[in-house]
Parts: sequence; structure tokens; C-alpha cells
Amino acid sequence: MSSTDDIRWVAQVALLGDKGAFDKLTCKYQSSIRRFFLNLTMGDAPLSDDLAQETFIKAYLNISSFKGISGFSTWLYRIAYNVFYDSARAHKHYEDIDEQMIDSQRHALNEFSAEKMDIYKALKVLRKEEQTAVMLFYMEDKTHKEVAKIMDCPLGTAKTYILKGKEKLSVYLTNAGYGNN
Amino acid sequence: METTNTDKMLKDFFSEQKQEIEDNGFSKRLLQNLPEQTDRRWIVWAFAIVGLIISGYIGINSNLFEQIMRLFKHISIYYLLGTVFCFPLIGAIVFYFAQNRTYRLI
Repeated sequence: MSSTDDIRWVAQVALLGDKGAFDKLTCKYQSSIRRFFLNLTMGDAPLSDDLAQETFIKAYLNISSFKGISGFSTWLYRIAYNVFYDSARAHKHYEDIDEQMIDSQRHALNEFSAEKMDIYKALKVLRKEEQTAVMLFYMEDKTHKEVAKIMDCPLGTAKTYILKGKEKLSVYLTNAGYGNN
Repeated sequence: METTNTDKMLKDFFSEQKQEIEDNGFSKRLLQNLPEQTDRRWIVWAFAIVGLIISGYIGINSNLFEQIMRLFKHISIYYLLGTVFCFPLIGAIVFYFAQNRTYRLI
């Protein structure tokens, strides 16, 4: 499925209000958007699903504002980024969090937690902006320019986030013995 | 050199951690929760009917159909076949390039 398909589906949703076309877009991007939130929320699957749902609903309601200058994926990540930070500001996910309680909940509830603990520990070393930039760049394969667009910051700032994140992560992973075997 | 190694290490680390998340009814639940919007499919039909009426009116009143038929009668069958068979070829080439380029609306 190419970006031409995306444009066709977006046009069908924007012009005709075609929910079937929007369903195709959802099926295509649900995995990457939910993974993005899952990593940002440090593995909180129910919260990341709620945020993903809010992202897609916002995309549906504002689809006519998609100009096609960047890809649909970049536009969707931009909404996801805003949804996450709005939610974080409103609920203060990070300040009020009881980490031990969340960790125990994760072990009990989250199907991804067992394999993902290492990445969450590693990501905790970074600042929030660095986490986002590094994840978009290394995990979601976005370019520097796309990261800057998604985070709505200058290209140089996005590059700095990625560079700083890379340095911190490499120190953490080297100390943790990653890549030695 | 060190940067390249660090990049490779991080690429490897993140690709190991990257996994596809199964839909598990997410799309279906989302579809049920989408707010209702006005169905605008009638616009397509309205424009199609208006277009048909206008072209029919112009065609009948300006003996355009007769002229077109006269034109076809005088065209060699080889030209006609050549033209007809060119369309799928041109269409296929356009489609191929449209699929491969990054689409820009504006």
C-alpha cells in the first residue's frame, strides 16, 4: 500500500465522509501509532490505546486540513504527538506516577511488558523530547526533517534531541552490556 | 567511525524491540466511536447528472454528435485501433510513475 492509496483514501474521507476509507487508513497505521504511544507511556497499553483512539478521531474530524505537503503518516504522528503532550499536561502522567505500582501493573496486565522492559528502562534515561525524537528516528524510521515537522520544532533542534538521546542511550546500553555478545 | 557504530547499535536495539501490534478489534471499536458526519456521496451523483444533462443538451442542439460520427466514418480503421490500444499503454505508464513518486497535493 503506497502513499497514493493514502491520498485516495484521504480524499474519499474528506469529500464523501467515507468511513470505509478511513477504516483502511486506521488498519494501515494502527500498529505504528499504538506502538509509538506504548513506548511514550512506558508500556501502559490501555492508556496508549485510548490515546491512539483519540488521535484517529481527531484525524477523522480534521482530515480536510491535511494538505498533503508531508505524508499522511507524518501528519498523523503530529496529531499523536499533540494528543500525548496535551494528555500529559492535563493528567501529569509523569509527575504523579507511582513507578513501582505501574511496574507491577505492567507485569500483570501488559502483554508486551516482558519483552519491552529493557527499552522502557533505556528510554527513562532520556528527557521526554529526546525520547520522542529518538523513537521517531530509530524505531519509526522517520527522517530528521520529518521528526522536526512532527515535533513542530526547527530542524537543528530535532537533530540536537536525536544526538543527545543517542549519546545518552549509547552510554546506557554499553554500561548495560548490550552488544557485547 | 564511533558514530557509525553507535548508530548501528541503536538501530539494532530498536529493531529488536520493534514489533507489530495486532489489531485485536481496535479498528472496529474506533469505527463504532467515530462521530457521525453528513454523507456527501450525493454530490458525486448530483454533478454526474448535471454534467450528463448539460452535455446531452449541447450535443443535441449543436449537432455535435453528427459531426463526431462523420469524423469517425472518415478515420482509417488502423488509426482508430492504434488510438484505442494506446490508451491502456499510456494509462499503465502514468500509473507506474504515479505509484513511484512521492505524492504532493500542493
